[in-house]
Amino acid sequence: MIILGIESSTQQVGAAIGGHEGVLSAAHTSRGRRHAELLTPTIDFVRRSARIELHEISCVAVDLGPGLFTGLRVGIAAAKAMAHALRVPMIGVPSLDLLAFPVRHTSRLIVAAIDAKRGEVFYAFYRQVPGGVQRVSAHQLGSPDDLASELLATPDEVLMVGDGALRYHDAFDGLKRVELADQGFAHPSASSLVQLAHARALREQFVAAWELAPLYLRKPDAEINWTTRDEQGRAE
Amino acid sequence: MTAHPREATVVLGIETSCDETAAAVVSGAQTVLSSVVSSQIELHARFGGVVPEIASRAHVDLLTPVIAQALVEAGLPDGGVEAVAATVGPGLIGSLLVGVSAAKALALVWDVPFVGVNHLEAHLYAGFLEDPSLELPVVVLLVSGGHTLLIHMEDHGRYRLLGQTIDDAAGEAFDKVARYLGLGYPGGPAIDRVAMDGDPEAIRFPRAMQDESYDFSFSGLKTAVVNHVRRHPEVGTADVAASFQEAVVDVLVTKAQRAAQAVGAKGMVLGGGVAANSVLRERFLDACTADGMHAFVPSRAMCTDNAAMVAAAGWWRLRSDGPTPLDAGGDPNLRLPVVT
Repeated sequence: MIILGIESSTQQVGAAIGGHEGVLSAAHTSRGRRHAELLTPTIDFVRRSARIELHEISCVAVDLGPGLFTGLRVGIAAAKAMAHALRVPMIGVPSLDLLAFPVRHTSRLIVAAIDAKRGEVFYAFYRQVPGGVQRVSAHQLGSPDDLASELLATPDEVLMVGDGALRYHDAFDGLKRVELADQGFAHPSASSLVQLAHARALREQFVAAWELAPLYLRKPDAEINWTTRDEQGRAE
Repeated sequence: MTAHPREATVVLGIETSCDETAAAVVSGAQTVLSSVVSSQIELHARFGGVVPEIASRAHVDLLTPVIAQALVEAGLPDGGVEAVAATVGPGLIGSLLVGVSAAKALALVWDVPFVGVNHLEAHLYAGFLEDPSLELPVVVLLVSGGHTLLIHMEDHGRYRLLGQTIDDAAGEAFDKVARYLGLGYPGGPAIDRVAMDGDPEAIRFPRAMQDESYDFSFSGLKTAVVNHVRRHPEVGTADVAASFQEAVVDVLVTKAQRAAQAVGAKGMVLGGGVAANSVLRERFLDACTADGMHAFVPSRAMCTDNAAMVAAAGWWRLRSDGPTPLDAGGDPNLRLPVVT
């Protein structure tokens, strides 16, 4: 079982390839927001480095978001096309799960936060479970201050990961019992994606390319404005 | 990988530059084996125009099924595609990147060349796709919601820009006037329909820049329509629509005809979404007949955004430039490569 993993939901873009032997090759680039340019060469690089032929791939895993829309779509569009052309199934994993997974060895409450721009973060809470992490909240979108208030209310020791935590560290710096993980944990990793997808592949938790949908967590502005207008229209 | 396509090289074309998700399989830039277009018009209609984020989301959902359908209809569900061409610009960047990313991934898996295609050049090739006997040089009038260009196509890949709009594109003018007249979106087909019951001579709207260059201007015309309706609310919408359409078509055809005569073109080609307008098509053909010039007006399906024209233009670009590197991205402001 060889799995190709593609992640592109933050300013980083990456790919990894692996299977039951673990991750065989991985590469990430976080500079320049050049997802569309870099993704295909990165995929080709990791599979050549691991000496894997593309037809040996039996599943394409992809980061579903939430994250930066354009980058996210580059990864998902490429992953769907590859899965279709290779005639293999897909596995989608949320970006916040990918952020939490590398810090699974802590017993603290894990908070994964991705910069959602416009002064907001996408975030979710996680707990350590045997072999990984389990999400213990919904995926949420809110201001760093909203998140800080939630953290104030929790009695737990907290470890925060993700570029959303780092970008808005001012909101969290003053909180007792809260530690921010460094830059090394700022972006979802394609290696984590391959590891998590492998566990799901063993349980055959696949989806078809046309069924896989991104997690946006935010409506297009036009729809938000339209809804507001509708509501105002009804109120008048 | 071959830089020189055979006559019958099979190209998969992908088009996602605006609000149509399209894929097509074309053999040798001539034989359309399949052409699938999934329009998002209904998703954008209530906003009165294309919303980029909604368009990008729809492309992600629709593209894989559209590609699958194009391959099945072409009789190639298990491969046989020899190159993958995708529109890399101009257009909405978020939308473009969906198609470009999928196309490069397919090229990688199938181990065939990827070709980045200029959307404007693709529109030029829509004409050749349906009429391979078309002789060069030709003058192409390319009119869409985003562009109004008059191009002298001297040879394949060799273009001179004769004129373009200095403000609104022709299609944009149709959309704006239709919205003002309450005719809905998209404006082109709406005005075309309503104008059939109107008198095109009812109101003499101004023809901008009629005697000067080959450039166009439509923003004054739009203002003239608004002012006329304010001053004469009694005039029927059909007459206003017909007279407006008449003014646009008059300017477009007159300038294209004058340009074709001036450069000694052997033919005239009409392209772009506005080329679906029935009066423009008729008048364009009349002008060519009057001048004894070979006219080419592609079918309506080939005028509006589609991927067959992308595959055809990709075939020609593969022949002239070879494959596009896989580290290519999209360019929302890509221009037609013109010689000066």
